[in-house]
Amino acid sequence: MKKINLLFTVLGIALLSSCEGFLDVKPSDSAAAETSITNANDAKVVMSGLMRKLTSADYYGRNFVLYGDAKGGDFAIRSQGRGNDALYTFNHSISSNNYGGYWAQMYHCILQANNLLLNIEKIIEAGNGTAALNEYKGQALTTRALIYFDLVRIYGKPYNMDKASYGVPLVLEPLDASAQPLRASVEEVYTQIMKDLTDGAPLLAKTKVNGFLNYYGNMALQARVNLYMGKYTEALAAAEVVMGTTLYSLYSNANWNGSWALPFGSESIFELGVYASEANLGTASLGYYLLRLAKVTGASGWFMASDYYLARLNQDPTDVRFGMMERDESSTTRLGSCLKYVGGPAMLGDKGVASSTNIKVIRLSEIYLLAAEAALNLPTPDKTKASNYLNAIRKRAPALALSTPVDVTMSMIEDERSKELFAEGHRYFDMIRWNKNIEFNDDFIYPAVIISHREKIINRTFYKTILPIPQNEIDANPKIAEQQNPGYVN
Amino acid sequence: MKKSILIVLALLLVNMAMAQMKVTGTVTSSEDGSPIPFATVLVQGARNVGASTDLDGKYSFDNVSKDAVLIFSYIGFTTQQVPINGRSVINVVLVPDATRLDEVMVVAYGTATKGTFTGAASVVKNDAIKDVPSITFENALNGKVAGLQITTLSGQAGSTSAIRVRGIGSMNASNEPLYVIDGVPVVSGNAGQMSGYIYSTSNVMSSLNTADIESITVLKDAAASSLYGSRAANGVILITTKRGKQGRTIVNFKASVGITPSWATDNYEVATTEQQVEMYYENFWNAGVYYQNRTQQDASVRALQQLNNRFAKHGYTFTAPDHTVKTLTIGGDRAGQYFDWEDVLFRTSVYQTYDLSVSGATESSNYYTSLSYTKEQGRIPVNSFDRITGRVNLTQKVGKSVEFNTNINIARSGKVGFNDTRALGNNYFLQSRNLMWGLYWPTDYITGAPWTLRYGSYAYNPLFYNNEWDNNSSTLRISANETVTVKILPELTLKTIFSYDNAGTLDHLYYSPVHFLGSASKGSVREMSTNVNKLVSSTTLNYNKTFAQKHTIGLLVGWEAEENKTEFIRAEGSDLPTGALQTVATAGVLTSNAYYWGNTMLSMLSRAEYNYDNRYYFSGSFRRDGSSRLGPDARWGNFWSLAGSWRIDKEEFMKNVDVISSLRLRGSYGVNGTLPSANYGWRSLATYGNKYMEQSGGGVSTIADASLSWETSYTSNIALEFGLLDQRISGTVEFFNRDSKDLLQDVPTSRVTGFGSTLKNIGEINNKGIEIELSGDIIKNETITWSAGITASSVKSTVTKLYGGQNIIWNEPTGGDARTKFIYQEGQSTLAIYGREWAGVDRETGKNVWYMNNENTTTQPTTVNGRPATFRYQDASEKIIGNVHPKLFGGFNTDVKWKGFSLALNFTYKLGGYTYDAAGRDVTDDGYYWERIMSKDQYDNRWTPENKDAKYPQRVAVDFEDVNQKSSRHMHDADYLRLKSLTLSYNLPKSILNKVKISNTRIYFNGMNLWTLAAYKVYDPEVNEYGSRGWETPIGKTYTFGVEFSF
Repeated sequence: MKKINLLFTVLGIALLSSCEGFLDVKPSDSAAAETSITNANDAKVVMSGLMRKLTSADYYGRNFVLYGDAKGGDFAIRSQGRGNDALYTFNHSISSNNYGGYWAQMYHCILQANNLLLNIEKIIEAGNGTAALNEYKGQALTTRALIYFDLVRIYGKPYNMDKASYGVPLVLEPLDASAQPLRASVEEVYTQIMKDLTDGAPLLAKTKVNGFLNYYGNMALQARVNLYMGKYTEALAAAEVVMGTTLYSLYSNANWNGSWALPFGSESIFELGVYASEANLGTASLGYYLLRLAKVTGASGWFMASDYYLARLNQDPTDVRFGMMERDESSTTRLGSCLKYVGGPAMLGDKGVASSTNIKVIRLSEIYLLAAEAALNLPTPDKTKASNYLNAIRKRAPALALSTPVDVTMSMIEDERSKELFAEGHRYFDMIRWNKNIEFNDDFIYPAVIISHREKIINRTFYKTILPIPQNEIDANPKIAEQQNPGYVN
Repeated sequence: MKKSILIVLALLLVNMAMAQMKVTGTVTSSEDGSPIPFATVLVQGARNVGASTDLDGKYSFDNVSKDAVLIFSYIGFTTQQVPINGRSVINVVLVPDATRLDEVMVVAYGTATKGTFTGAASVVKNDAIKDVPSITFENALNGKVAGLQITTLSGQAGSTSAIRVRGIGSMNASNEPLYVIDGVPVVSGNAGQMSGYIYSTSNVMSSLNTADIESITVLKDAAASSLYGSRAANGVILITTKRGKQGRTIVNFKASVGITPSWATDNYEVATTEQQVEMYYENFWNAGVYYQNRTQQDASVRALQQLNNRFAKHGYTFTAPDHTVKTLTIGGDRAGQYFDWEDVLFRTSVYQTYDLSVSGATESSNYYTSLSYTKEQGRIPVNSFDRITGRVNLTQKVGKSVEFNTNINIARSGKVGFNDTRALGNNYFLQSRNLMWGLYWPTDYITGAPWTLRYGSYAYNPLFYNNEWDNNSSTLRISANETVTVKILPELTLKTIFSYDNAGTLDHLYYSPVHFLGSASKGSVREMSTNVNKLVSSTTLNYNKTFAQKHTIGLLVGWEAEENKTEFIRAEGSDLPTGALQTVATAGVLTSNAYYWGNTMLSMLSRAEYNYDNRYYFSGSFRRDGSSRLGPDARWGNFWSLAGSWRIDKEEFMKNVDVISSLRLRGSYGVNGTLPSANYGWRSLATYGNKYMEQSGGGVSTIADASLSWETSYTSNIALEFGLLDQRISGTVEFFNRDSKDLLQDVPTSRVTGFGSTLKNIGEINNKGIEIELSGDIIKNETITWSAGITASSVKSTVTKLYGGQNIIWNEPTGGDARTKFIYQEGQSTLAIYGREWAGVDRETGKNVWYMNNENTTTQPTTVNGRPATFRYQDASEKIIGNVHPKLFGGFNTDVKWKGFSLALNFTYKLGGYTYDAAGRDVTDDGYYWERIMSKDQYDNRWTPENKDAKYPQRVAVDFEDVNQKSSRHMHDADYLRLKSLTLSYNLPKSILNKVKISNTRIYFNGMNLWTLAAYKVYDPEVNEYGSRGWETPIGKTYTFGVEFSF
């Protein structure tokens, strides 16, 4: 027996001395999170990863863009049950159709930005800062501002309606798993957005960086955010910085249609790359969802232009923007299908494949219209600028008379924003920002069914104009239930 | 010594005084009629007079008293006493005896006899499973082992099963038992990556040919399994493959063919096409009249418009002259003809298997070799499975003390699978029940060309698209293990095993440029290679000795190292030039991926056993495991057990109790564990799967807890084993209690952290229950035996502790579409269904009503059965609405053998608990998704003004979401009784066979799932481990005919 014990002991010792090495098995396709960012090159990889995460179907890849149009009255649906029609019918509750994907994906992206910022700060503190690292810091700050701006618009009341009400939890560094953060006010979120943007701006390159945010992307966002806050002077100033550079130029009428088949065109201030084997959602892509049902295999006909939008565009039947509209399933003449995300009628996208078409997040056209709106709303309206900036876009309807400093109105700018930025995720946010009634083209549904979750016409007092904090957030973060958006019960 | 010489002399004298004669005969087995070599034949009362049978089972006595009684015995068979009565030829058929206490069974790291083993284990012999037409052995175990729950995930050919030993002990880690084949832990579970694309699974264990299995031991308690340490908490399934028997070479050939012409039960049977049209019309008519205040005429016109709009292109028109459903008429060119989709979507499938084995043994060597081919079709035409296996088991003694043993198994299987999820586009079972109407035809009404567009909603014409895609998985599995046994001393044995187990799966998935899943990428093809490697090295020293006749000790020490590594390679191409070539090589756009993952484990193990006088038994085991799946601080864990048993029947005071032939009490307590499923769960990781603009992209992908540790189970077990009337009736009653602590949980985190959950060791679960196994011979004589057995188990599986007491709401993972919702809540079942409580249908309005279950006020209040209720589901609260776990489950079987015939029936049953109908929302929609109006159940039971006491609400095309709520509306009683298997076989008489030199021929018929009695009849009651029924392929009725020859 003693011999056996001895043998076992010897065996055991021999084993244990080598076993910690044997038991240290590392993954082949991932790295330890703590040590994954040590230099500018690592930061670049994480920044690329972050841009890719923005192209998720839950965010700019599809659903966020749909959100801005399906709820804004510019889209209509032909039939119910094809998918995502809850966006249109406002069939939201805390547990059903809560679209928690927005919440989860945006905060996942914010974590990436926060992690990048934290690690860049560590490298800089260690005395190893470089210009390239500063550039990524600027991009991370600007991206974080963009995401918070999107979040607070989905979950918080409009800034000019009730800025003291709940916005979203404001998180600026990676959190521990046990964190249960609560909501900051709309105003606090906007303040942080502006801080990130102004902190980030001086760090950023004033050259084009396709697929990423640069200095002008930052300034364009500053213009947008200021406009939403009603700070028209600041909005105009920021917009004019963007309009003042020669890096970007407006499409001519001749080039407008073709621009949708080109990546990184002259108007693209911030454009997300969607490449064939990367964020390409295939038949689930934004492009496919806006195509006429069964135009090609997999085309869903989810959303098409409403009668109201078409009437607006039809103010000038020769409007160049009809080039991106194609007939829908309702008749041979109604031009309700949008081709912006398949590269136009050729359906070759901007890189040869229909579904891998880049998403244009900020275009120079928007900045002109934004500048026009800001100029018109200045304490002392600058109608000349308003008219000029508006006309730069309005001329895309050649048969319509251009505006003049005398006759330029807010409604002309509003209509132009709708016409130009159709299906680009703006209309709804504009309408509630302007405190307008939104009318839905429910009679287009064929044959008619009852929409029981909202009225035909809504305005921003309707509680469902913002989404509920989703059930799974409440399950994990129970105190936030007390901060649920009003109207959403149980 | 002197004494015995005297006795011999005395006996010789006595014998001489009696009439002597010569007796000869053959001893055969009742199982297959084959001769039993080396059986012992003794003469009663005569010491040192005995014989053994030869290779042909023959024996002879030259001089034996004609009044003597012969005793025939062989290990594993019931001993028989036969008086000679002057006969000179006595042939004996021995009957196998599963209840014998000295039966040898395979246990952890060795063998034990049933009567001395201190743990809880059940043994299933090859006999019990050999005739079941199943690719894998798991299905055949159903109902045969108490405490074992086997659920099929799908009726697809070649899909995996889930086995649960004594309930559910883990929330996040695996609940699958450990599989050990011939002493070595092996790769198990799903093979390949196809489940990520078309949700079809392929079972690695299907590489094991059922015909090669000698026995299966299920280890249930800690005493039995703790020697497997950290992997044993879910039980261990030990599989032993066949070896040769000493005697002449036996060649065995078996062939069987089975057909499956129908499903085992109804499965969401559809209404007739006319009835569906009626519901479709009614849907819009009701919406118009009751909800939009339209006139009947207006509503009718709109409803007809819908129908005409959808079906005119298929050659149908619709009219309703009086504007009500009463005059609804289907006209048009195809009027009266409806396409029979069931006929083309399903088939009578064929199963066939051929086994050939050769085995034999001599004093120094032992061999078993086999070759087998099996082909199984699924009832859905695109599903099939085939397999070839070859096995060599070889044992060779070298000298007196060294023995080499080699087991090699090679299996190659191919599976063509099918999407089993709620995929509207291409799950044919779903389409047959949900979206395909007789009004949709596979050809265009006008041109006769194949119909390629969608059929309303999301269904596509399968007849066309079947030819536009292709999928198959082939798995090549090679297992080789080499064992060297050295007898260092008579009492001391060294055994070392080295095993290599490799399963390589190649998955091929192709969509043509025309296919709806390939069109966006202009056709795509994927080739994926998954290569699982498992290396195990294990060395044990075993010491056994009996001292002073009454003290027996057994000691075992050993160590084991294991390495698992899986290599994955994917090559993918899109933009294919032609549908004729389905290779990546031809593609315009290429992508690829390759990486590997794995884990390692080191263990030391030991066991000590002691018995006094074969009456009192004690044993203890200890194992220390270290795993790479845990961080350095938590890596090592200790697992142990203590057990004892008492042979009460050997005590003096039992000598006079004749009715009790055996009685044993045993008990055990021990600790074992479960590892996290994730290989790197303790590491916070950054991953790089986020390529952006053709440059690498990455980011943080997990928040991990570095101190992640084992799940630990504390199990106690107590059992009483008894045999009555000379073992004619025997049984076991067993109680167990398992507390599983430090359970791994995906603790929900605030999404604001960037993630939805993180893995932590925090929960506790308790499983306790009672298991009963009873078997007996009702009639037993030379011509007829009738035996019966029953197993019954009751397991209570309860969540006892959660993180901060906080409930966890979780969805069933099957199919990826959250089809059932559960809650972990302290004090509640581990499978507690969570949802709203449906109060049925309002008699007057035909609307859904919901119990409030809260104090809120609602805008649409009502009461049902005196309880506050609402018409708005939004106002009702969710609660626990049911428990999936049955109160009692198990099986019973009965065997009758008469002459060459034998009839075996195996039933399985489940009592109590609920199933959740995850497909009901599709086939009994309330009208908003108006394609979903297919079920006969709904047609018969929907609310109409004429049928106010209806089960289902009024159909109306309004976007009510009631049917889509997780609720008790979809919950049904789970009770069922099923004749799982029926086998009728006949052994051809020897007199015929001897002429053609065949030692044994057996023909048989087996029927599977022939009869079912279920509490809820809409779908098959044999549901998955989560108790839910979705759109997975149902199981069928299979009729198999087989023949078996031995030479």
